[in-house]
Amino acid sequence: MRSRDGDHSFTFSISTVVTLFLLLSSALFADEYLISYRSSVKDATLYNETLYISKAMKKCNGTPYNILILDPHNSNDLKTILLQNKEEFTNFLYKIGLNVEHKEETYNSINHSSTVLTLKTTCFKVDFNDNSVKIAPLK
Amino acid sequence: MLQQGYSMKYSLVLVTLLSVASFAADKKEDAQPVQVAPAPSNITVVCPTGSCTKPAEVQKVEVINPVEISKPIEIAKPKVEEKKPVAKNDDVLDAKQNLLISVVGQGVAPVNTSSPAQAYALAKRAAVADAYRLIAEKVKGVRIDGQDLVKNMMVKRSTVRTSVQAMVRNANIVETTFKEGLCEVEMEITLSRSQFPR
Repeated sequence: MRSRDGDHSFTFSISTVVTLFLLLSSALFADEYLISYRSSVKDATLYNETLYISKAMKKCNGTPYNILILDPHNSNDLKTILLQNKEEFTNFLYKIGLNVEHKEETYNSINHSSTVLTLKTTCFKVDFNDNSVKIAPLK
Repeated sequence: MLQQGYSMKYSLVLVTLLSVASFAADKKEDAQPVQVAPAPSNITVVCPTGSCTKPAEVQKVEVINPVEISKPIEIAKPKVEEKKPVAKNDDVLDAKQNLLISVVGQGVAPVNTSSPAQAYALAKRAAVADAYRLIAEKVKGVRIDGQDLVKNMMVKRSTVRTSVQAMVRNANIVETTFKEGLCEVEMEITLSRSQFPR
């Protein structure tokens, strides 16, 4: 006896595609961003801090490691999300690793120092989900 | 008369022979071999004058208990200090054990801040940078250049320049304190031998 669903194979293929789409939805919304960070400290006081964020125009190579999950606060813009979670993201950058450049000069017993922490331009994979944003640098 | 002449001749010969004999006896006494002292083991040199600046002068050589030496004489050698093994230092990175480095960085809030929260955040950034610098100094070392200018026996200019350049990864913030405008951040880093390429 033939079922009500006359074209069973077609329905099955459609449902499979929908399921796969739902499963891989996070991967479909994944983007790659180039991020660099620089903070300058002069005489124990923060002098300048810059965070450059740009969408990668070319596909990055490498595998993600050290994932950070942030709250998007109903936003789809990475810059806004990072500014809203600035403290967490900065600590995350510290953990990834930064270049330290320190110079100190003592002239007639008067000391001046400057320290620059730099994250070289690194490619990050960013996955936008409904309630979270996953950020992971590529290595 | 002829007999008297012969007796005279004989007496002269006898006198001559006696004198020759006595001369020979004197020579014999003079030619006595000099007794050489056996090889001494201990020699005491007595200088009657008190000073032995001229050993060829009056010196008395006396042999005291000549003992046969069986053992070889030990010549005193200069003492050479043996190299002691270097004491095991706790700060040396061991293959089996990880090394934990802990530092405290300090930072000051800027004068013109809009809120205490901003002051705290900025001071913390500065403290973290200082802590990073301390970690880099401990792990990699510091380059130091110094210059002093002395003119007319007075220091006119004294300059000390230090610089550090390093890449610090996996450093963790342990504790943060903020008191009277000064922020202190305690940071830790764990070093293992596998992190360093050979």
